Amino acid sequence: MSLTPAELTSSVTGGIGTSPQRPDGNLKVRGEFAYASDLWHEDMIWGSTLRSPHPYARIVSIDLTEALEVPGVYAVLTHEDVPGANLYGLEHKDQPVLAVDVVRYQGEAVALVGADHPETATRAMKRIKVEYEVLEPVVDMETAADDTPLHPGGNLVRHVPIRRGGQAPTADVVVTGRYEVGMQDQAFLGPESGLAVPAEDGGVDLYIATQWLHVDQGQVASALGMPLDKVRLTLSGVGGAFGGREDLSMQVHACMLALHTRKPVKMVYNREESFYGHVHRHPAVLHYEHGATNDGKLVYVKARIFLDGGAYASSTGAVVANAATLGVGPYEVDNVTIDCYGVYTNNPPCGAMRGFGAVQAGFAYESQMDKLADALGMDPVDVRIANAMTEGSVMPTGQVVDSAAPVAQLLKLVKDKPLPPVSTTLDLRSMPGGVSNTTHGEGVVRGIGYAVGIKNVCFSEGYDDYSTARVRVQVINGELVALAHTAACEVGQGLVTIMQQIVRTELGVQRVTILPMDTSIGNGGSTSASRQTYVTGGAVKAACAAVRDKLAKLAGGRDLSEVDLVELLGDDVVDETVEWRHRATEPLDPETGQGNAHVQYGFAAHRAVVDVDVELGLVKVVELDCAQDVGNALNPQAVLGQIQGGSAQGLGLAVMEEIQTSGGKVRNPSFTDYLIPTVLDMPPMSIDVLELADPNAPYGVRGVGEPPTISSTPAIVAAIRAATGLALTRVPVRPEHITGT
Amino acid sequence: MIEVVPSEGGVVPAAVEVGLVVNGEARRLVVEPRVTLLDALRERLGLTGAKKGCDHGECGACTVLVDDRRIYSCTTLAVMQEGRRVTTVEGLGTPESPHPVQAAFVEHDGMQCGMCTPGQVVSAVALIAEGHAGSEDEIREWMSGNLCRCAAYPGIVAAVRAAAGGAS
Amino acid sequence: MRTFAYLSADDVATAVQAISTEPGAKFLGGGTNLVDLMREGVEHPDTVIDITRLPLTGVEELPDGGVRIGALVRNSDLAGDRLIRGRYPMLSQALLTGASAQLRNMATVGGNVLQRTRCAYFYDGTAACNKREPGAGCDAIGGFNRNHAILGTSEDCIATHPSDMCVALAALDAVVEVESVRGKRRIPLVDFHLLPGGTPQVETALEADELITAVELPPSPLAATSRYRKVRDRASYAFALVSVAAALEVADGTVTGVRLALGGVAAKPWRAYEAERVLLGAPATEESFRLAAEAELAPAVGRSQNEFKIELAKRAVVATLRQLLTEGGAA
Repeated sequence: MSLTPAELTSSVTGGIGTSPQRPDGNLKVRGEFAYASDLWHEDMIWGSTLRSPHPYARIVSIDLTEALEVPGVYAVLTHEDVPGANLYGLEHKDQPVLAVDVVRYQGEAVALVGADHPETATRAMKRIKVEYEVLEPVVDMETAADDTPLHPGGNLVRHVPIRRGGQAPTADVVVTGRYEVGMQDQAFLGPESGLAVPAEDGGVDLYIATQWLHVDQGQVASALGMPLDKVRLTLSGVGGAFGGREDLSMQVHACMLALHTRKPVKMVYNREESFYGHVHRHPAVLHYEHGATNDGKLVYVKARIFLDGGAYASSTGAVVANAATLGVGPYEVDNVTIDCYGVYTNNPPCGAMRGFGAVQAGFAYESQMDKLADALGMDPVDVRIANAMTEGSVMPTGQVVDSAAPVAQLLKLVKDKPLPPVSTTLDLRSMPGGVSNTTHGEGVVRGIGYAVGIKNVCFSEGYDDYSTARVRVQVINGELVALAHTAACEVGQGLVTIMQQIVRTELGVQRVTILPMDTSIGNGGSTSASRQTYVTGGAVKAACAAVRDKLAKLAGGRDLSEVDLVELLGDDVVDETVEWRHRATEPLDPETGQGNAHVQYGFAAHRAVVDVDVELGLVKVVELDCAQDVGNALNPQAVLGQIQGGSAQGLGLAVMEEIQTSGGKVRNPSFTDYLIPTVLDMPPMSIDVLELADPNAPYGVRGVGEPPTISSTPAIVAAIRAATGLALTRVPVRPEHITGT
Repeated sequence: MIEVVPSEGGVVPAAVEVGLVVNGEARRLVVEPRVTLLDALRERLGLTGAKKGCDHGECGACTVLVDDRRIYSCTTLAVMQEGRRVTTVEGLGTPESPHPVQAAFVEHDGMQCGMCTPGQVVSAVALIAEGHAGSEDEIREWMSGNLCRCAAYPGIVAAVRAAAGGAS
Repeated sequence: MRTFAYLSADDVATAVQAISTEPGAKFLGGGTNLVDLMREGVEHPDTVIDITRLPLTGVEELPDGGVRIGALVRNSDLAGDRLIRGRYPMLSQALLTGASAQLRNMATVGGNVLQRTRCAYFYDGTAACNKREPGAGCDAIGGFNRNHAILGTSEDCIATHPSDMCVALAALDAVVEVESVRGKRRIPLVDFHLLPGGTPQVETALEADELITAVELPPSPLAATSRYRKVRDRASYAFALVSVAAALEVADGTVTGVRLALGGVAAKPWRAYEAERVLLGAPATEESFRLAAEAELAPAVGRSQNEFKIELAKRAVVATLRQLLTEGGAA
C-alpha cells in the first residue's frame, strides 16, 4: 500500500452551485479510502503511550529497566528523549510532549514504547515503573483562578472583558439565570492515528489525520529540534474531526520513536485512549442578567462566564474570546458588561469543538431570552425579533456587522413552517423511548422551542489567516486537466468537492484532480472555524485567476473562450501558486473588549418540536427545523449535510452527551457510557437555506459548519421546557432532570 | 472436531491455522487464537475496509457478514469463524459495477468523513436482505447499530431506501 | 489480550469433558461480552472452549405447552421465533430492545444469561472493584454510579446485571438447564444470579465446570399478554436505566394473575415478588399498581447519582401495568 493518498479525480462534473458527487465517495463506499489507521509499512513497528492514571501528581521516579527487557521492544522513551523543546501548544506553549516532573491530567503522556506488536507494547508499558506522589486536583472552574497554581503564571488562561454603553443600567424587567454546559466530546469515529517514517536525510515523514498540517509541522519540528524542511507531513484519510484534531496527539511521539529506532512507527489510539488523546468542548458555568423594557426591548446584558480549559490551554483563549464577544447573541444591546474567564484545572484539557465558545454562550443567552419572554408574557419568537440584529447593527465589541444578518427572517422562516402532526399512529419509533417500548402515547406532552445563534467565521483578533493554493493546467492524453494542490485538510466536510467545483467554474476545465494535501505547499490554515470554503476556496479561486491570466498571455489577447486550450497549451504547463488572505481583523482592547475582531458572522435558527414522556423523562425530538444564511451555497447538498450534522451534534449535547468527570477523572471513556445520537435519534429536518451574499467573501460565501450547532441545543431544551414547565438550566438534560426524581 | 493449541506460558503466542472464505475466496491464515476477526481481516488479509472505531461492539464501523448475517467483527475471534463465509465491504460489487447499496450511498451522499461508511454499507445490505427496509422508520430502527458522528443519517436512510427499491 | 489455548467442541460431552480437565477454562459463545472482557484484561482464561458449534440451536415446543430454548440460539433468532412471539411477547420485546441488530446476531441465550456487569469500574483495571479483585474495594459506591443498582446491593458492590432478556426470563419462571461431567441439573432463573453480599465476584449458581445447555419456559397463558418496557438514555443501542417485564391477568376488575420483574436495578434480574403479592387479588387500578411498586421499591437504596432510579422504577412499573390493563399485551 502506498502511504501517499490517492489523487482524487471524478468523472462527475459540476461547477459551483451544483452538487456533484464527492470525488472520494466511491473509494469510501468500497472501503478503499485509506484512513490514517489503515496505513501499513512493511517493517513498521507500533508505538504506544503510557499515560498518567492521576489527574494531578508529582512524578517521583520513572524506571524503564523491566520494560526494556521485554522481547520485541525497540525503544522506551521519556521526556529525557525529547530532542527539542518539550513544550507545545496552539496558543500557549504550556504542554510537555512527555511529562517531566508533574502530570496535570488523567491521561497525560508520560512515556512511549516502540515494539514489534501492540500487545508487546502493552506488556512493556505494564513494566514501566512510575512512582507518583498524588496531589489534590483543582477541579472547580469558578474557583480555580484562586486555587493552587498549576502553571507558572497561575490558573487564569484568559479573561476577556466586554464593556459597552452604560455599566449601571436599570430596566423594567430583569431576568437572571445560572446555566451549565457539560463537557462534550467530538467523538469522531476514526480514533487518532499516524505513521512516522524516518527519512534518509535525517528528517521524518509523517502521515497523519489532522485538521491543520502546518501548525502540526511547526510544533513537531520544534519538539524534534529540527528545521521545518526535515519534518514533512502528508494528510491521510481523516475519520472526522470537529475540532478534536486541531491539537497534537501522537504527532511528536510517533516521530520520536521513528527517529530513535530508525523504523517506521505506527500509532493508533483505541476508543478509550481517544477520550484522553484529544481536547474536548469546554464545560461552562454562565451567570446571566438580562434587563429589558416592558415592551421587550433589551436594555442591557450582564454576564460572568467561566470556561474550564482543563490542564493545558489549547485554544482556550479563542474560546473565551468567542464566548465573550458573541455572548449576547444575535441581538442589539446597547449596554453590555461581560467578563469571560478561561481557567486551568486538572480536568481533561479542552479546546476546539464545532461552535467553540459560541455554543456555551448560546445555550445561556437563548435560555435567558425564553425566560425574558416568559417574564414579559411575550411570544419567545417575538421577543427575539424585537431585538434581532440586522446588517448595520453594532456588536458588543463595537464592530459594525457589515453584511447580511437576517436574524428576524431566519426566525420567521422556522416559525412559519407547518408543524408536524401529533402522532396518531402507534408506531413506537415515533414515540419518546422509540423502540424501547415505553409510552404508547400516554403521558406524552408536546413542546415547541426556538433558538437563534451567531458564530464568527474564520480566525479572529488580528490573526494572519490565509491559505495557499496551487493550480496547474496541462494536457494529458489529449485532454485538458487541472490539478489543484493545497495543505488544507479534508476531514469529511467536502472541501475536495468544493475545490473541484471552483476550478471547473473558474477555468472551464472539467477534469480536475485534487492532489494529496501535504506540507510541500504553503500553509492552508486550519480546518476549523467554518473557514475552509471561505479561505481555501478563496485561494483556489485566486490561483485559477492567476492561471487564467497566464493563459490569456499565451493566447496573445484572443478571448480565451474562443481558444482551443488543448492546442494552445500543447506541451506547456501553466502552474500558479497563490497565498490568499481574508480582510484583516483587529485585536480586542484588553480593558473594554472593543475592536473589529471578527471577519464574518454566520447565523442559524432552529425550531425544535419534541414529545416528552413526562412520566419516564424520555424525549423524542419529533422535528428539528433550521434556517440558515450561507451567503452562497456552492454545493447545496454539502450545505444540507453540514446543517444536519451540526444540528445532530447540538441534539447530542441537549439530551445525552457529556464526559463525566469526578475528581478530575473521566468516568465514561467509551461509547457504552458516552452516548452519541444514532440514526433513530435523528429527527426529520426541514431546512431553509438563505443565500445573502457577503460582498467581502469569495462568491459571497458564509461559513456553514458551525452555526447550526449553536442554535440546535437551546431550541431543543426550550421545547422540553415548554412541554414540562421545568427550568432545565443544564445540558445535557437527562431523564432524571425531567422526572425530577 | 477438537483442536488443541497449547499456550506457551502466556508470553509466546501459539498460533492456529484458520480457513475462511473471504469475499468468495478460500483463504488460509495462521493466527493466534486471540486475534479478532477484525484484526485478521485488516492486518493479515489486508482488507482494511472494515474499520476499528471502538473495538468494543459500540459503533458498528467493523460490521461484516458471516454466513450472510451482519455481525461486529471486533468482538469475535477469527479462529471461531473456521469454514465460514465472511463478506467485507470489499466483497460487495466492483469499481466498475458497484453494489446497488454502494451506488446509492454515493448518489444520496450518505457519508461525510466516511469512516463509518463501510459498516453502514454492509449493514444496509444485510438489513435489506432481512426485510427490514419497509419504511424509513424501520430502516432507522434496524440501522441504529451503526453510528455516524458526521450525522449523515438523512442521506444514509435515503440511500438504503433507494437501494431497497423504495421511494427515494 | 493475553494468550490462551483454544479448543472447539462439536458436542456437549466433549465440551464438558474439556472444561472438567481445564480449571482455568471458559466457554465462548457469541463472544460479544467475553472477547471484550478478555481484551480489557478483566477476564483472562488459560483456555477458551468454543461452543458455537454445539447442536444447541433449537427452539422447541414442549408437550406441556412450554418452550425449550437451546443455549446457542442467537438472540435475533429467538426474538423472531414464532412460538416466542406468540406465547411470550415480553421475551421477544426484551431481546429486540437489547443492543443492536449485529450484536443480537452474535449473542447467544447462554451467553446473555452469563453476561457480566457494564460497571465502568469493573472494566477499568486501575479502579478498585471487588468483583474483579475481591477485597479491593468499590469505587462505584462513592463515584460515578448513575447507572448502578438500587436493590439488593451491598457495601461491597452496587453493580447491575445488564441483560434485558433475563428480566423477561425472570418474570416467566424460566429454568436454566446446566450440564457437567457430573450430570445435569436445573436451576430456576431467579436463583441463577446471586446478589453481591460479601462475595460480589460470585455472580451465579453455575459451577466452574458446568455448561448452560438450555433455558426452559413453563407454559403460561398469562404470558401471552405481556410487555417489556425499557427506560434508557438513548432510543436504541443502550443499556437500561430501568426496565420492566410484566404480564397481567384481570377478571372482574381484580388482578387474578401477575408476573413482574425489573432490570437495571440489581445485580440480578429482579423478580418483583413483593409487588406481585400486593397486586394479586387487588383491584386492577392505578392506585394498586402504585402501591405494589412502592412495596417492591421500599428497600431500595440510592447512592449519590442514582437516587432517581427508585422513583423511575416505580413509574415504569405503574406505566407498564397500566398499559397492560388498557391496551393488553400485543406488541
